[in-house]
Amino acid sequence: MRTGALITVARKNRAAKGSAARLSLITICVLAALAAAGCSGEKKTETAASKPEEKAAPAVTKIDPATAATVTGKVKLDGKRPAKKSINMSEEAECRRLHKGAVYEESVVAGADGGLAYAFVYVKSGLEGKTFEAAKEPVKIDQRGCTFQPRVLGIRVGQTLSVSNSDPVSHNIHPMPKDNREWNQQQPPQAPGLEREFARPEVMIPVKCNVHAWMRSYIGVVDHPYFAVTGEQGVFELKGLPPGEYTIEAWQEKYGTLEQKVTLAASASQAIEFKFKGE
Amino acid sequence: MRTIILSAALMAAAIFTSCSTKKPEYPAAEATPKPLGAVVEIKAPLGLPPVPVPAGNPPTAETIALGRKLFYDKRISVDATISCASCHDPKFGFADAKQFSDGVGGKKGGRNAPTVINSAYSTLQFWDGRAPSLEKQAEGPMGNPVEMAHNAPDVEKKLSADPVYRAEFDKAFGPGPITYEKASMAMASFERTVLSGNSPFDRYLYGGDKKALSAGAIRGLAVFRDAKKGNCAVCHSVGEKDALFTDNKFHNLGAGMDAKGELTDLGRFAVTNQEADRGAFRTSMLRDIAQTAPYMHDGSLKTLKDVVDFYVGGGNSNPNRDKEIKSLDHLTKQERADLVTFLESLTGELPSNVGPVQ
Repeated sequence: MRTGALITVARKNRAAKGSAARLSLITICVLAALAAAGCSGEKKTETAASKPEEKAAPAVTKIDPATAATVTGKVKLDGKRPAKKSINMSEEAECRRLHKGAVYEESVVAGADGGLAYAFVYVKSGLEGKTFEAAKEPVKIDQRGCTFQPRVLGIRVGQTLSVSNSDPVSHNIHPMPKDNREWNQQQPPQAPGLEREFARPEVMIPVKCNVHAWMRSYIGVVDHPYFAVTGEQGVFELKGLPPGEYTIEAWQEKYGTLEQKVTLAASASQAIEFKFKGE
Repeated sequence: MRTIILSAALMAAAIFTSCSTKKPEYPAAEATPKPLGAVVEIKAPLGLPPVPVPAGNPPTAETIALGRKLFYDKRISVDATISCASCHDPKFGFADAKQFSDGVGGKKGGRNAPTVINSAYSTLQFWDGRAPSLEKQAEGPMGNPVEMAHNAPDVEKKLSADPVYRAEFDKAFGPGPITYEKASMAMASFERTVLSGNSPFDRYLYGGDKKALSAGAIRGLAVFRDAKKGNCAVCHSVGEKDALFTDNKFHNLGAGMDAKGELTDLGRFAVTNQEADRGAFRTSMLRDIAQTAPYMHDGSLKTLKDVVDFYVGGGNSNPNRDKEIKSLDHLTKQERADLVTFLESLTGELPSNVGPVQ
């Protein structure tokens, strides 16, 4: 509006040249325009940062505890266990000082009976169209002893991943997703924690530290609560599943993935086993 | 027609008023002050180019001496507790050892105090370049509510009450009232003498002394300059005859992120409103850097090793990260350590007469 008025005035003046008063009017207009331009910068708001409106959350699927079923099982290594490999932390004296003895690489951690730790087991399909209550607690990952703790973790879409650094050295955590946004961030010693989340399901997102090449972690992002990471014995449990047909997948960082179909009757508890083939 | 003229004039006046409230108050303009004495040449030490000097404020022995005295004088803060040197302390390379400096009444600034050393060569002052000259820079902290929190008339009144200052200002600028502008000019002239060069690095690269640098620092210099290794010199320039270690530009490294990964300080963007400047800060000059910890505009990195690791990590990702910032994870442990050794070789010699007046 204001600019329009000024232009009109200026145009009127252009038609009748000569008068000193009119010249001064032009000067005033030009000055006003310049002043307005000079000021406008301060008034600009940040539009780029504004977020799109959030959609209304769809209704949460009700699961009847009386009929909910459970899948339990074990992930095993069939065959020879690879020899333990120690991590060479000599690149960072501070890291080496954090450990008394050797630190072993954790890509294959198998118990005495072949149970494989750090396998990610989750419902790959069968839950389509269902919505689950959001997870409230954050999932934690710590940079400790110049390793990621834990090695493998599962998280829900939109759930908070809280990242800490307990080491006396800088780390720079760098998840390398395919379907999510890639990012990296440094945490110098005593840096405050980070809180991030993943927008889409992705199994698995490899995580590295840009400063220490040996550091690795894997994050499984799913849009439901039915996932587990196996412990030392390779055992897992997925409970509270509505009766139905599902594909369960087990992922292991060295051996890849295996899947199985299960049909769960009401209140059933079904045991399954995944056997990865060693060398 | 008359109504239109009137309304246009009113509008212009209104717009001017709304603008002027944002600007600091300057004393009623008298003639621009001019230094009175003989112009002195500020000699640049080995490794630094000739010192740029503005036409309106050629350095004289009198303005430099006056500026030095003002720089260390706490009376220029509102409660006489803080001088320029409180945050730009020669003990800490004319910077502050704290992450954020203390202003009057325990107030804290939001950025790490940058060093005064070699600021004569900065084409724009402050981390965000909001001051076009050292003269304008000097006015900033005096009036900043979280720094010295003083206003121009009160500073002038306080200084004018001191007969010694009256005599010194008269000697420097000729007889007349003590003004904020004169004080800023004198401080700027003093700051132009706070130069650090002739460091082991300078003696090695520009002085022909091949023994001036350790083997590690020489390797570090090579990593620093090699575009395929550290590529540090792409912004921290090293020239044929001298090295400012800055491109005098503004870059976004991703330093200063909150927990969610949002920039906590928009830096240069707040001055220019240019999208490309979001989160960008002035390239630091690196000289005497071993003495100016902590580092980065937010003082978030405590050691030079943390700084090197920051670059090794590729800074922090954000939509505006400078394209030159890439992970340097290809650097070996030795190369990373050599970079630190090299940075430590940039501690030079300051002139003997830049400390507090005894």
